[in-house]
Amino acid sequence: MTALPEGIEPEVPVPGYPNTWTHTPAQPLLPRPAGRTEMAGPVRLHRKLVPGAVNLAEATPGRPAIGQLMQIGGRILDEAGRPVAGAVVELWQANAAGRYAHANDGSAAPLDPNFTGHGRALTDEDGRYAFTTIKPGAYAVPVQETWWRPPHLHFSVHGPSCLSRLVTQMYFPGEPLNALDRILNAIPDGAARSRMIARFLPPPSVGDFFLGFTHDIVLRGRHATPEA
Amino acid sequence: MFPTSQQTIGPFFPAEFFGPADHDLTRVSAEAAPTRRGEAILLRGRVTRQGGLPCVNAVLELWQADAAGRFAGDADADPDFLFWGRARTDGDGRYAFRTVLPGRFADQLGPRASHANVTLLGSGLMRRVLTTLFFPRAAEELAADPVLALVPSGRRPLLLADPAGEEDGLRVFRFDIRLRGTDETPFFAV
Repeated sequence: MTALPEGIEPEVPVPGYPNTWTHTPAQPLLPRPAGRTEMAGPVRLHRKLVPGAVNLAEATPGRPAIGQLMQIGGRILDEAGRPVAGAVVELWQANAAGRYAHANDGSAAPLDPNFTGHGRALTDEDGRYAFTTIKPGAYAVPVQETWWRPPHLHFSVHGPSCLSRLVTQMYFPGEPLNALDRILNAIPDGAARSRMIARFLPPPSVGDFFLGFTHDIVLRGRHATPEA
Repeated sequence: MFPTSQQTIGPFFPAEFFGPADHDLTRVSAEAAPTRRGEAILLRGRVTRQGGLPCVNAVLELWQADAAGRFAGDADADPDFLFWGRARTDGDGRYAFRTVLPGRFADQLGPRASHANVTLLGSGLMRRVLTTLFFPRAAEELAADPVLALVPSGRRPLLLADPAGEEDGLRVFRFDIRLRGTDETPFFAV
């Protein structure tokens, strides 16, 4: 397995995010070569993680969620740039007011009964995924020295092996809060950070009713398959 | 191309993403009958952080060989085994999986003892962590395992799952994960 270039993975602990102090192992990680068990993964995982709604903005027809309608789509790729077909892609996000429909979110911002904020898709032969949703709001992180999370989407992607498993977040271009976000800026490398920001699509390509964004996600692992 | 950077799963991973059989590796779908190959077992444990406090709503993903030591994609792999499962911790940091006792196998690294791999994701964990637990076996089998050998000898017992009785006629094994602090679980970088 080739080592990752420096600066791509987040540095911990993250200032202002106390959980990163108490949850991150203090001992160094033990380097380990990749054998069969490291390269293994489930086949046809969508039998268990069943693809569901990809239109989060109007889960019930006739009852649209509040917020700016947007389309988000892109491709899941491997490190060689090849599409990953059949990848399970899970998306979750806050509503337009910056509130998650989750028991752990104690924010006073209102819930939107028409927005559950999660969906699951399966990539096609070209590695493509697509969701229709609304642009999430920013929200304050409830810690002593409050800071604001910029609008962002959470992605969980299951690729061909457990090594390619990725959980990440996607940000929006031109958001002033991006420069202040402690989680985005835990990634030391500026180029890596900019790859986490979606690209805005010009209105003619998405129609008049939606903001359009495109975002490709690159998974580790497949090129590292050991020679037989 | 460079891989996309990891970010924390955060505290709001939707509860709706967990199906009734996601923690059950012995079924390929929620409706499927469990595999009849191998010995079905339960794996239980608790996830804690600094100070021994529970990690709540953490996500664990388990993957392993089938009862004969084969993996998905092998010609003779168990077609009724999913090789992967997902669970989340409750308010006390506890998790549970149903799986089969994995078989041993050999690969380019050497003879692998009966083991299962866990990836843990949670609020505050900016990168997922990976560990491997070993089921009780003869000392020689464990001593020959090339991955267990990478762990300093004093910390190896932390990777052993302990027999913990029986439940519904299945043997139960216990494996606790301590993210940081006293008896911190050894984690790997692949």
